[in-house]
Amino acid sequence: MAEMMKGNEAIAEAAVRAGARFYAGYPITPSSEIMEYLSWRMEEVGGSFVQAESELAGINMVIGASACGVRALTASSGPGISLKQEGISTLCDEGLPAVVITQVRYGNGLGTLFTAQCDYNRETRGGGQGDYRCIVLCPSSVQEFVDLMAPAYELSEKYRIVVIMMGEGTLGQMMEPVTLPDFVETKRTPWALTGKYDYKKIGIFERDSRKEAVELREKYDAIKENEQRWFDEGIEDADYVFVAYGVPGRATLGAIRELRAEGEKVGLIRPITAWPFPEKAFAKINPACKGVITVEENATGQLVDDAALFIKKTHKDRNIPAYALTYVYNTPPIRSIKADYFRIKNGEVKEVY
Amino acid sequence: MREIVFAGSGGQGVLTVGLIISDIAATEGLNVTWVPSYGSAMRGGTANCTVKYCAENYIYNPSQEQPDLLLAMNEPSLHMFLPMVAPGGTVLVGDTVTIPADARQDVTYVHVNCTEIATSLGNPKGANVVMTGAIVKLMGDFSREAAIAAMNHMFEKKGKAKFNESNAKAFDAGYNAVECLSDASCVR
Repeated sequence: MAEMMKGNEAIAEAAVRAGARFYAGYPITPSSEIMEYLSWRMEEVGGSFVQAESELAGINMVIGASACGVRALTASSGPGISLKQEGISTLCDEGLPAVVITQVRYGNGLGTLFTAQCDYNRETRGGGQGDYRCIVLCPSSVQEFVDLMAPAYELSEKYRIVVIMMGEGTLGQMMEPVTLPDFVETKRTPWALTGKYDYKKIGIFERDSRKEAVELREKYDAIKENEQRWFDEGIEDADYVFVAYGVPGRATLGAIRELRAEGEKVGLIRPITAWPFPEKAFAKINPACKGVITVEENATGQLVDDAALFIKKTHKDRNIPAYALTYVYNTPPIRSIKADYFRIKNGEVKEVY
Repeated sequence: MREIVFAGSGGQGVLTVGLIISDIAATEGLNVTWVPSYGSAMRGGTANCTVKYCAENYIYNPSQEQPDLLLAMNEPSLHMFLPMVAPGGTVLVGDTVTIPADARQDVTYVHVNCTEIATSLGNPKGANVVMTGAIVKLMGDFSREAAIAAMNHMFEKKGKAKFNESNAKAFDAGYNAVECLSDASCVR
């Protein structure tokens, strides 16, 4: 029998099993239980845990741990992730792998504690200063979150990039039956610092950013080509295709299955990577599709920009409309998603694009 | 699928009732989710959690939608969640809660003096476990024996096995205080 586990605790244990041996961070609701759990658990497995004096200090310690070849982790939410952006940009600049967990909560500035998806744009567009992207994984259940922790580290080391685990308050706070993965045997990354001066020092004015740009573009192109992940159902013959990730993604799956049972031709694309966005899924959508509909826990509609971009790109001969159902915060009830679908079908909702 | 909302003031043990019910469901091998209210809402105001369980289907939406049963351990919780209860659903209330005369009539109200019962058993902190027994009976999804075994196992894992006997008594008192209302069980 799978044990009931609190999301944040299951996620923290999964990180340990995926080989994370360094954690530094600063607590914030709704992600705090991750570091609370690791405060005792890291020591048990011979890892290191630091409750840093700030988010900025925490991410800078992650830079150090990663440079030394250790699988490193930090976690936060909303404003805490904003504070970490300088360090995330540095990790990406230096080609240092790390995993950053965010349990998204709603609002601008300090925001609120409600579960939400308002940080989609920040996570998928790099977030900090500069010209970089992070791979963004967006699980829809505690089990999926747990199962993606080892792949997150593998991706971050394969591409020497930061992987953002974009959760939601609900995924951190809820309990579900969870089967934990086995422990992964990890090796120190071969390029890690050794404590000796093995590497040539390169000053800021000696860098060739044009040469680096070629490598950067090749890396991001390879990620876009190889690492798109998604779940889809019923999209080849659908009149309307929903696009939703995370907990709203699983609620929308419930909605489309009920709508199908009622005779509505609807489908779902649930991105598992928010970046790279699952463009390949959109190529499978029914050519006669009447619209794509995003279901989002934010006010202004963010996912709809990507959904629109890729439905227009993959279905160039027709201008298929993209609609956004924005529920601000909290997971929308399935009956609300269904009711709003019928409003779209009846022409009562204006398309965004 | 079954949906239950457990609500009361912080300290009344409503999150624990939800945990016990969800652990019973998980022990029976069902799909189950438990979602709490968290953060500032827990300080002094109402605390609540939502449990959903289902034998066949994945729980698509773990959040509050339309509970089949509402446990309201205080009046603010009753007023906050009563509009959400499914028509034909059940509203279980504790000692201090009075149902207003103009409250909606399409749900069944069940009153259990859980604090009084728990106190009479010499276990005044067990009012929430009394309600756990009442909920298991009202829902009709789990046998008394399976529920008590799962509850005891849950507390054993927390190092609280010494309360198993008093918890079982409190559970039984609640179980025997109500009649099963469910004619279409989710599980059996």
